[in-house]
Amino acid sequence: MVNEVNNQQEEVYEVDKLTLLDCARISFRKEKSGFLTLIYDGQEYSRINPTRLIPFYSKTDYISLSYENEEREFREVGVIKQMKDLDKEQYEILDRFLEYKYYMPEITKVYNIKDNMRGAIFVKCDTTSGQKTICVRDWYQNFRMLSAEYLYVNDADGNKYYCPMISKLDKKSRNVLEMFT
Amino acid sequence: MDLLLKLPPSELDDIAYSLPFSYIGDGESCEGVFSVAGEHIYIFVDGELEEKYDIKQFESFECRRQIGSSMAQGILKNGDAVCFCGFTQEYFVRYGEVMKLLEHYIRTGEMITDTGADEPTCPTCGLPLDGAAECVFCKSKGSTLLRLIKRIGPYRKYFIIAVICTILSQLVWVFMPYLDRIIIDDYVTPHLEEWGGFIAIVIGIVTMLLLAGVFEYLNMKNSFKTALNIGRDLRQEVFDKSQQLSLGSLSKRTAGELINRVSGDAAKLEEFITANGKDAIVKILSLMIISVLLFVMDWRLALMTIVPIPFVFLIVKRLFNTMAIRYTAVWKRSKTHSETLHDILNGIRVVKSFGSEAREISHYENCSLSWAKACVRAEIMWYLTIPFSEFVLTIGNFLVLYFGGSMIIDREMSLGELIQFTTYVAMLYEPIRWMIHIPRTLADTSVSAGKVFEILDEQSDVRDSEDSVDLDIKGDIEFDDVYFGYKAYIPVLKGITCKINKGEMIGIVGHSGVGKSTMINLILRLYDCSQGEIRIDGVPIKKISQHSLRSQVGVVLQETFLFDGSVLDNISYAKPGAPFEEVVKAAKIANAHDFIVKLPDGYNTRVGNKGFQLSGGERQRIAIARALLHDPKIIILDEATASLDTQTEKKIQQALARLTEGRTTIAIAHRLSTLSNADRLIVLDKGKLAEIGTHTELMKQGGVYYRLVMAQRQTTKMKKVLPQPAEA
Repeated sequence: MVNEVNNQQEEVYEVDKLTLLDCARISFRKEKSGFLTLIYDGQEYSRINPTRLIPFYSKTDYISLSYENEEREFREVGVIKQMKDLDKEQYEILDRFLEYKYYMPEITKVYNIKDNMRGAIFVKCDTTSGQKTICVRDWYQNFRMLSAEYLYVNDADGNKYYCPMISKLDKKSRNVLEMFT
Repeated sequence: MDLLLKLPPSELDDIAYSLPFSYIGDGESCEGVFSVAGEHIYIFVDGELEEKYDIKQFESFECRRQIGSSMAQGILKNGDAVCFCGFTQEYFVRYGEVMKLLEHYIRTGEMITDTGADEPTCPTCGLPLDGAAECVFCKSKGSTLLRLIKRIGPYRKYFIIAVICTILSQLVWVFMPYLDRIIIDDYVTPHLEEWGGFIAIVIGIVTMLLLAGVFEYLNMKNSFKTALNIGRDLRQEVFDKSQQLSLGSLSKRTAGELINRVSGDAAKLEEFITANGKDAIVKILSLMIISVLLFVMDWRLALMTIVPIPFVFLIVKRLFNTMAIRYTAVWKRSKTHSETLHDILNGIRVVKSFGSEAREISHYENCSLSWAKACVRAEIMWYLTIPFSEFVLTIGNFLVLYFGGSMIIDREMSLGELIQFTTYVAMLYEPIRWMIHIPRTLADTSVSAGKVFEILDEQSDVRDSEDSVDLDIKGDIEFDDVYFGYKAYIPVLKGITCKINKGEMIGIVGHSGVGKSTMINLILRLYDCSQGEIRIDGVPIKKISQHSLRSQVGVVLQETFLFDGSVLDNISYAKPGAPFEEVVKAAKIANAHDFIVKLPDGYNTRVGNKGFQLSGGERQRIAIARALLHDPKIIILDEATASLDTQTEKKIQQALARLTEGRTTIAIAHRLSTLSNADRLIVLDKGKLAEIGTHTELMKQGGVYYRLVMAQRQTTKMKKVLPQPAEA
């Protein structure tokens, strides 16, 4: 019990520190639970839930590694500043998990957008996971530009899509998007 | 709901559910099938059987929503989780349903295969149905509008008068050009100076105008009576329904959305009946009458008039969507503009303290500029489309003037006849213009009508049963194997069994989100438990009428909502018409009287949104007074003293002690010290009842409660160690 109390005290005092993890000392293992096990500095942390801290700016920088303790409280082991510092195998395990957790097809071409005039639009487009008609409810909220170039789409089911540079789309796609962005 | 979306690649007996997935448990993409057959779960990956699990080895099942994907998990009896598969979000509701049904199976041994017809999304447009039986967007417009038209029934007398008066006034207007023609042909063109006949016609015209005015007046009066009454009925019905529906149904929608349905959508239907419902009859009738008149007068000129009409419909249809999108863009920009303005002005203290005025000016400038640009784009489109379609529509008029003029020269037609004809042509365009806009109006109205009727048709999921009774509650509460989840596939409470005795004070403790407030919501029957039973004085809660139950339960929450009104109104809300002395007595017991006396208008001081701003502690004492006046048999205190300073808390604690005396009390508090006077404590952990007993018993056990207390003590110690901000 004393140890636990001491640990808690330590955690509280370290809460204001951004603990950047040394990528050379990181080792991941896949778990049956769908999460990852992290071994860092000889200590094992199970049910690690990696999180992109700036998902719209970078997919591989600033990755937080956290878990929930027995009391379901948030505990952060630390943050990976740049995933490229991980060795190849570790990079692949983490990248695969993040790609799965943040599954978000990229929009590569827009054919047309139909508006039902009551807040919903139907976007027929090509994405990295095939051609789709994305159904977007409350499109003013869910079909929006996060910057002058980055389009972020959240469909009626909760699937997410993005286009990082709309200026790189073909002219017809840009014309179709113009009305809605 | 269809839970057999994709069958497994190899044959299985007794398949109950089978769904596709796109990721195996560790996140590798694949083409997979998750199947439940017999007593097993089968995971197929790329056509091969990858895993087979015995359902009974699991204790529970859950779906975890991630950012762009979700996963289905089984929790083993030792607490470890097994991820079956990962899938994209369109399958979330179906997997959630399967997980719920699997939990039902492990509890009861019954595998439900008839999973009902409720589909999560509309098969036509793909939009979520949100529990509605039919998609409001795809619902047959006719049937919804017919329901709306049927609502005219009680006011048909007014409606019929309005229609008759409109037809009569239209007939007057149709007859006027004939009188114009007589004046021109019989008096003006031949220079006839027979004043008797001329004056008689002028008197006829004036009389007609007066008559038209009278008809218009009667029409408007009766139309508005019909529409406003229907609007009032709809608003009232939607509002009544919103009060009757369970919290579960209501929390599916935001307060703004409900307000919009009560006022916005109902107003749209009201406007439709005033402006279009009656007009539809009249416009179509006048279109027919005028068309017949035109063809009778000269069929060749009549043909020239109607030739451009199909082209106009085509142009408008093509341009309308583009215009609508441009105007939506304007609306969107204006919304962003007002939000930005609201944001900056609300946070002006922050802006000033960080010296970021220049940045905010530039931010606002950009918003304002983009709004202005969107307006220009939309207006340019509008002013190109409308004059152009008007021009095309009236091309017929030019043709009539040209050929009509030639006919006058050839003496085939008189000037009066031509003027009468062109007046009719102008009158013909009026209903056509209306018809151009009507499809959009109809679409708009049918969606509004759909939304209003959706609420009116909704059945509350917490209903009084036919044999429900009014119970004089004594205060015994019993939870018997209660399961509940706000979303059925994410259980919050699992198998809660406990008994609370009359007059006992019970504290419910546990981590955030563990289900403490949910237990209280179930006692109040704001929701019905999904399995098990709650009994009050031995009577199942579902058999007690909701009114009888809630009128005997008093609640004091962390945040007290005060309605706009006086202090007196707010306290006597619990017992309208209570004698003033009784209100004062309640206020005194609640330690509220002292501060109320100091308010500018005493008990008549206006509080709430637009009134005097009371502090948190003062509002809390009003809530306690309100609860005291209610004289409840069961008291619920949900974090009633959280966010109060120690001095205020002492006063509130005194008031609460008086309130709870001799009554069954259930209290939730994060600060465990505030539950020191509880008779027993119920400790919840991960949705289950972990421990129950007195403070001393639980501390001796050294379990969940012990750890909670120790953690809180540690935090308190640390707060003392850390430097505290200087007091103001």
